[in-house]
Amino acid sequence: MNETLATVLVGIFGITGSLLLLASALAMFRVRDALSRINVFSPATGLGMPLIVAAAYVFDLHSAGFSWSSLLMAVVAVLCLIIVSSVASNTLARSTVLSGQPVYRKTNPNRLAHPPAGVVDVDPDVDVDPDVDEG
Amino acid sequence: MTIVVSICAIILAAAIVIGLIRVLTARDQGSRAVVSDLIYFSSIAIVTMLGIAVSSSIVIDVVFLASMVGILATIALARILTRGHR
Repeated sequence: MNETLATVLVGIFGITGSLLLLASALAMFRVRDALSRINVFSPATGLGMPLIVAAAYVFDLHSAGFSWSSLLMAVVAVLCLIIVSSVASNTLARSTVLSGQPVYRKTNPNRLAHPPAGVVDVDPDVDVDPDVDEG
Repeated sequence: MTIVVSICAIILAAAIVIGLIRVLTARDQGSRAVVSDLIYFSSIAIVTMLGIAVSSSIVIDVVFLASMVGILATIALARILTRGHR
């Protein structure tokens, strides 16, 4: 692989990945609550960082030549970024809901605001009549 | 190669600065956790670009290890948000 091709490939992959991270950072201003921010964060980890890994692999291919260990590490890094970051985002979103962070009030439909159909939601703050069986 | 890597590093530094401004102006803790995660990944990308700029031979290793242990920071922030409860 000659110098020009390596530079062009590193440029395409690196600048596209960097722009995705920048776009994700800008999108943090556009959305209003933490759950939406977790949602708009996924392009950075799902596409931006794998492109950065691709740029690093192209540079490694150019400077050190082909080796199976670098290819394996690059593939595992991309898989980790996609799978592990999704699990981490899921955990963060779950703890965000559990710790009671506010959801933007104009979110529609907002299925977190109402219990699902068929679920009896008893308000513990309201005094119930002791004669009535709650069932 | 140096020019390309410099452009990438400048874009990533802009992303980090914008993220820090967002952390300063955020009102809830969940947003701060998410934006700090974004800053972590941007800094990993800057370290990768630095490795490319100095023609280091461990660029792949750096990004491999960082992507594998990146879950730990997010899980720790999630546990902090719920005060240690699962």
